[in-house]
Amino acid sequence: MAYLELKNVHKTFGNVKAVNDFTLDINKGKLVSFLGPSGCGKTTTLRMIAGFEQPDEGTIQLDNEDITIVSPNQRDIGMVFQAYALFPNMSVRQNIAFGLKMKKTPKVEIEKRVDEVLEMVRLKDTAKRYPHQLSGGQQQRIALARALAVRPRVLLLDEPLSALDAEVRVALRGEIRRIQSDLAITTVYVTHDQEEALSISDQVVVMENGVIQQVGTPQEIYRAPQTRFVATFIGTANQFFGKVGGESEVQCSGLSISTRKLSDFTKGQEVVVLVRPELISVNTSQPSADAGNIIEGIVETVTFHGAVTRLGVHMNQQRVVADITVNSAESISLNQTVWLSFKPEVCKVMAVAE
Amino acid sequence: MRMNKLFRSIVLVLFLLFMLVPLIATFLFSISTRWDRTILPEGFTLEWWKKVISRGAFGLTLKNSFYISFATSIALTILVTPTAYWVHIRAPKSKVIFEIMSAFSFGIPGVILALALIRFYSGIPVPLINTTNILLLACMELCFPFMYRPVANALDSIDIHTLTEASQSLGGNWISTFIHVILPNIFPGIASGFLLVFSTVFAEFTLTNLLVGARFKTFPIYLVEFTRFDGRQASALAIISFVVAWVVSLLLLLISGKRTITSDNLTIGH
Ligand SMILES: Nc1ncnc2c1ncn2[C@@H]1O[C@H](COP(=O)(O)OP(=O)(O)O)[C@@H](O)[C@H]1O
Ligand SMILES: [Mg+2]
Repeated sequence: MAYLELKNVHKTFGNVKAVNDFTLDINKGKLVSFLGPSGCGKTTTLRMIAGFEQPDEGTIQLDNEDITIVSPNQRDIGMVFQAYALFPNMSVRQNIAFGLKMKKTPKVEIEKRVDEVLEMVRLKDTAKRYPHQLSGGQQQRIALARALAVRPRVLLLDEPLSALDAEVRVALRGEIRRIQSDLAITTVYVTHDQEEALSISDQVVVMENGVIQQVGTPQEIYRAPQTRFVATFIGTANQFFGKVGGESEVQCSGLSISTRKLSDFTKGQEVVVLVRPELISVNTSQPSADAGNIIEGIVETVTFHGAVTRLGVHMNQQRVVADITVNSAESISLNQTVWLSFKPEVCKVMAVAE
Repeated sequence: MRMNKLFRSIVLVLFLLFMLVPLIATFLFSISTRWDRTILPEGFTLEWWKKVISRGAFGLTLKNSFYISFATSIALTILVTPTAYWVHIRAPKSKVIFEIMSAFSFGIPGVILALALIRFYSGIPVPLINTTNILLLACMELCFPFMYRPVANALDSIDIHTLTEASQSLGGNWISTFIHVILPNIFPGIASGFLLVFSTVFAEFTLTNLLVGARFKTFPIYLVEFTRFDGRQASALAIISFVVAWVVSLLLLLISGKRTITSDNLTIGH
């Protein structure tokens, strides 16, 4: 039995189907991210778990108890908001103590717990300050401390870092992950930032248009995307559209790509071949045939990305991107002819839905 | 730059003169022996003040006015603040109704409002006609927008939705959320609403005169009655009335000023 279970949850606003048949099991102590483009229903799902929205259909269970219609203040579920939502009229200490006060915790215990969580987020010396006297990153850490002080059964975070600048964002996400695993608290983390989701999650739930596209570990999501949406949303993938031509071959316009055995497909079926740019080698002279698929093209763009340089290569009315290391990039210039090569094993073939 | 500054000073001085001259003149008149044949008063005396204050009606009407002003302000605060919060958070569409209701008391002349209220209250089974309570209700209706507007503005200026949800996720119910989270953050709005209502009711004449004028005399009624036979005593009363409104304003600004320092946190914090 999973700890938090959503079963066939639906939610419609007017004529927008915000969440469509959402079923998910979340195990105790895990950090699960909801990842998807803006408007795909992440927040709505999170708010249904918190109790701020009611599902039109379906149930939500927490620790074997049906909480679908339990009011938010009875759920024991903590929440961290994008806009921090600290109470401006209260000091940091009062903010953190608020939940404990609502629970009628004895004074001595409150003091102890506040100190404890302040220690956890490493902001002990801010206890007497007011929210407006803190930086955004500090405010969000206090908001996290406030949510954790009551020891909730589940912690929900809705894009907690998107209002912060890049440096703070990276530091704070590590901090969140550290605290989450120290406390082994079941956590749902909403983000539209794939790097964030991949770097801190036990499980990633990729969503599009209110529908779950794929659930898996970050590695699974990246290495074995199950839909074209996941493959292109997570990282970058070159797409070659064509028809199945043989038992391990796809015929694209003016190009034949050898792939793994295509036992799940019928001959002539419309498919797309997906290849990640980092799995493509770039050669300045024509490689031997054992390099696998070889495509000749002209370098159109060279974009420096730090550790790698991304080439945009024009071939056959299509732009193919390939990543190369900075060193090998030195020998490549614009408008040069190059040969891209990739092994059949790195090709991911997917059916194209009509 | 210099011209600009000069211009601003001139405007300010003119404005102050415009506001203060009538007040000063009223005050001078109330302490003058005679001021109808000369440019400046012929002499000064405290006689009118002594006379007007020593009358029994003075204390009584002042007390009545304080009573009705406080009662209206407090009743409206208690009625409007939670309602406005609820409307903003749970029924934002019905805000329109409140806006329309706010326009009523501006749009309808006091005489019509008073007569309409008398007709309405005489038609309902609760005996309200000819009681002070009818005045309280009428003043509440008249002053509703003065309370609602500042409170609604204060609610709009903070993120009440997220604050409410944050409070709920920490175990707060509607009442504790309202008291501990919402109220302190909209306090300046409530204070200015209270102030506007208080000073409006304290100076209210038309409704009071028509509804309960014969039996429940308030300070403005007393004042108007005085103007009929002695302008100097009436002037003394006018000054007192002004000072009362001014002191109440000052007190409230003092209280809300203290609170604003902490409630600023919100707007800056975001
Ligand atoms: N309260 C609401 N009223 C109407 N439509 C809403 C409401 N909340 C969300 N939606 C719609 O539901 C869809 C999903 O929204 P949301 O869950 O906020 O997406 P995300 O958090 O993934 O960006 C969007 O199309 C949004 O416009
Ligand atoms: Mg969202």
